[in-house]
This record gives sequence, structure tokens and C-alpha cells, in this order.
Amino acid sequence: MSDSGQVRLLASISVELIDIIQEYPSPSGGVTRVVDGISLAFSKPGINMLLGPSGCGKSTILQMMGGVRPINAKTPTSGKVMINGIECNDAHDDSVMVFQRYANRPDLSVYDNVAFPFRLNLWKKKVPEAEWHKRVAEMLEETGLKDKKDLSPAQLSGGQNQRVALARALVLRPRILLMDEPFGALDAQTREEMQRLLISLYNEHPCLIVFVTHDVTEALMLGDRVIVLSSQPAKVSDDFTITAMRPRSADWQRSDEARQLEKRILTSLHTAPGRGVVRVTI
Amino acid sequence: MNNFWNPYLQPDDRQRRIIGAASVLALLVFWSILAVTGIVSPARLPAPWDVLKAMAYLSWHEGESLLLTATLWSLGRLLVAGFLVVAIGIPAGIVMGASPRVNAAVSPLVDPFRSAPVVALLPILVMWLGVGEEMKIAFLFIGAVVYLIPMVRDAIQAVPQNYWISARDLGATQWECIIRAVIPMAMPRITDAVIVAFSVMWTYITVAEYVNAKSGLGQLIQNARRFSAWDQVFAGIFIIMALALLTYQLMTAIKRKLYPWETQL
Ligand SMILES: Nc1ncnc2c1ncn2[C@@H]1O[C@H](COP(=O)(O)OP(=O)(O)OP(=O)(O)O)[C@@H](O)[C@H]1O
Ligand SMILES: [Mg+2]
Repeated sequence: MSDSGQVRLLASISVELIDIIQEYPSPSGGVTRVVDGISLAFSKPGINMLLGPSGCGKSTILQMMGGVRPINAKTPTSGKVMINGIECNDAHDDSVMVFQRYANRPDLSVYDNVAFPFRLNLWKKKVPEAEWHKRVAEMLEETGLKDKKDLSPAQLSGGQNQRVALARALVLRPRILLMDEPFGALDAQTREEMQRLLISLYNEHPCLIVFVTHDVTEALMLGDRVIVLSSQPAKVSDDFTITAMRPRSADWQRSDEARQLEKRILTSLHTAPGRGVVRVTI
Repeated sequence: MNNFWNPYLQPDDRQRRIIGAASVLALLVFWSILAVTGIVSPARLPAPWDVLKAMAYLSWHEGESLLLTATLWSLGRLLVAGFLVVAIGIPAGIVMGASPRVNAAVSPLVDPFRSAPVVALLPILVMWLGVGEEMKIAFLFIGAVVYLIPMVRDAIQAVPQNYWISARDLGATQWECIIRAVIPMAMPRITDAVIVAFSVMWTYITVAEYVNAKSGLGQLIQNARRFSAWDQVFAGIFIIMALALLTYQLMTAIKRKLYPWETQL
């Protein structure tokens, strides 16, 4: 992408959630309030961590920011989502989601998985063929999948599968990248490796990342901003920024700053007690 | 015997082949004993070697092969009907699977035919289409397509939703999600449906060819029966079984070649 393109990209991102309430029909008959009056604004590139106990409504909130929304209920029940100043009611072209369970296609090679979006009319029209070939090759290189491009996803490890998912999202140069516990199913070591990869990819392709996790350590290691949600119904119980440079070292993790932030998160979760659990990796 | 009642431990290939061959052999021996001792009269049950001789006779006699001609006729009908089943049944099943509303409208018209006595339709088809090729093809077509359509529909509906969602998230229209994600993921099971359809057609071929029998394996059997040539009747039945098995094996092998990823899921 040209420099002017990059500048335009950096200049114009904004996602706003305004008084979002989400209710789902509950099995017992009535309705369950899952999200209770959340207002959040994101207006520049950065890694924003959405941290909350499992089942608190993180995925529900994430899907509203330009993802595919649940089919069985009106989403949101009330409130508004604005993307770049325009109300958004459905999947948005500027935003791409990376799922926890990899959505890689077992019938396609790694290369074809990454190139998949360009088989769709939307992107065929927007991106010339030479350009997308270049982008796919570049993403395979950056995610370390270059020599794996002819393999099928079943032949890859969990971490490599998530690299494919990341590459497929980033070939579209999205302005908004939604990540729903993308590394949640990985072992600790692979997770750290993927966090480092995400940081370097972010530095190459800065965009607005909203990253859902229930891992306190992950939130501290990655986030420019950490938003802590209380358990069901989800409310914002804390919202702060971290200015430490990334990648953050193990030393930083043991620093006073990090320890205090960790304590702050845990207290805010405990003062809003609920059923879900969070994880702290040491 | 060790692990005799353990359904998860398969014998290796060699062992399985030996066991299988042994049981076929046992049946042949039993059959031979019946024939030699005359417990069942040869008029009711021809001896295995008589069936073999009948096969040889049918394969080559006085410069022509009745069997080859009959097989080609039957195979031709099967392929024409099979082409129609695939060309009409697969799109129909896909549309039904992809759109619950179409399914709600069409499935009451299709599903009951799965348990309909298809053979009883034969006189009706004769009345409508006469006794020629159209009737035979139509009969095979109906017999197979009523299995194929619901199977294709189920194959589509069995594709996990996450592939649809993920394509949608990348900007696919709903129809593109079906074309680019759901159908490719359903292909192995759709192929299974085609394999079943061909098996069904092989079982119906004789029925289709009984009426106004002029050619085909069904006619060959029907003709032999009229002259009480039971050895030829048996030969004809075995030939059909062998052809059906061959078709099945061939199509399964092709399927495995086309969709190697299915077993890796
Ligand atoms: N489409 C839906 N229909 C009905 N209930 C739903 C739907 N989606 C989510 N829920 C319910 O809403 C609550 C929050 O779900 P959500 O998936 O947003 O939570 P989460 O924080 O992402 O959880 P997890 O950590 O398990 O991913 C859960 O109790 C869930 O059962
Ligand atoms: Mg979730």
C-alpha cells in the first residue's frame, strides 16, 4: 500500500458503541440481559484489550463492531454502533474477525485459505489481481508460512493454523481487526510466540485492534488500552491505558507498574463478583 | 480369543481378506454339497459349476456375447438415468439445504417418496410413457432421485455454521457463502449421495427391464426364467451384484482421490 494510503488509513478510524444493551431469550422463558449499557469509543489505531470473565458477553460486544451478528436475536437490543460516523447494523467491510476456533478451510491449501477473500466479488472488484497476489505472498512471508503454503490446515499445528487465520485477515488491510480469544486454545509457549507475532504484524500494518481475552497477563502484555468488563450482565468496570513499549519483556511483567495494573484488574473483577473465571499466567 | 468382542480393534488387511475369502468359500462348499448330494434338486438350485458354465455360455456363444450386449444396454440406461439424477437432484438438494424456506415448501413433496413403493409406480409410468426407453429411464430416475435429494439436502445442512459465518465476515453475500464455502465443504457427503443413488439404480435395473423386455440384464434374467434356465438366472444375478460392487468401489476410490481432506477432519 502507498504511503498516502497508510496515512488515510491511520487518519480515519472510529468505532463507537453508544448505550449498548443486549438481551437474549433465556431457556426458562424470559430474557437474560447479557450486556448492560456499554458505551465505548475507539478512535485511533492501537491494540485494545477487552478483558472479562468467560461468558460475560465479550463475543457479543465484539461481533457488534462490524462482525457477523447472532442470527437468532436483534443485536443490539438497544443502543447504536457507529463505524466512521455511520450507523452499522451488520458485517462491515472495514472489519475482519479472527476466531478462537480457527475457521480455516480443510479443503483448501494454506495459500488458498489466505487468498480466499479474493475469490469473493467484493474484493475481486476492490483489489486488482496483481496486487492481491503480492499481498498474499507478503503475508505468508510475514507469518512464517511461506514454505507451508501448499500444505493443508490439517497438517499444521494449532499455532500455525492461527497464523493462517491472521494472514487471511490482514491481506484485506482491514482498518478494524476483531480478535475473539484467538490464542485461547493454544499452549502457553505457542501463545507467547503468537503474541510476539501479532505485535510485529501490528507494527507493519497498524489498525484498530479489539482483542477479546480472559487472560489478565495477555491483556497486560499486548494492550495499549485495557477495558475490564464485569461478569454478566457486562458493564465496563475499568478502562485504562498502558504506555510501556511493546514487545514487553519478562522484566516489565515483574515490574511494579505491571504488578499494580494486575492487582487493579483483579480487584475490579472481584468487586463485581460473578460466575465466570479469568486466567492469570505467570 | 483375544479381543474378539472389541469393536474398535480392526484385524489387519491380510487377516480380513483371509476371513472374508474363507466365509465365501464356506458358502460355496455348502452350496456344492447341496448340489452333489441332491438334497435340493438341480431344477430348484443349480450347482455352482453349472452357474459358472452358464456364465461362460452367456459371455461367449456362437460368435456373440449376450452378456456384453445386455450389460452395455443396462449400463447405458443407468448412465443416462444417473446423469439426470445428478443434474437435477444435486441442484434441487442444494437449494433445499441452503434455504430452509424452500425446504419447508418442497420436502413434503419429496420426503414421502423415500418410503413410497417405487415399484408400484411402474404401471403408472407405463401408462404415461409407454413401454420404451423413456419409461425405463424415468423409473430408474425416480427410484434414485428420491434418495439423492434428501441426502444432498442433509449434506448441506450438516456443514458447520462457522464456515458460513467466516465467509460472511469476509464480505461474502449469502449466496456466495453457499457457493464458496458451504457447497465445497458438503462435497464429500454429496458424493456419498451419488454413490448411494447408483447402488439403488443397480437394484432397480432388473425391474425396469422386466417390462417389454428386449435388452439388458433384466431381460436376460427374465428370458432365462421363462425357459426355467435357473443357472442363467443365477449367473445374471451374480453379474449384476458384481457390477454394482464394481461401481461402488470405483466411485469410492474416486471420492477418496477428490476429497482426501475429508478423513483428516
Ligand atoms: N445467539 C445467542 N442466543 C442466545 N444466547 C446467547 C447468544 N450468544 C450468546 N448468548 C449468551 O450470552 C452470554 C454471553 O455470551 P458471549 O459469547 O458473548 O460471552 P463471552 O464473554 O464471549 O464468553 P466466552 O468467554 O465463553 O467466549 C452467554 O451466557 C451466552 O449463553
Ligand atoms: Mg466468546
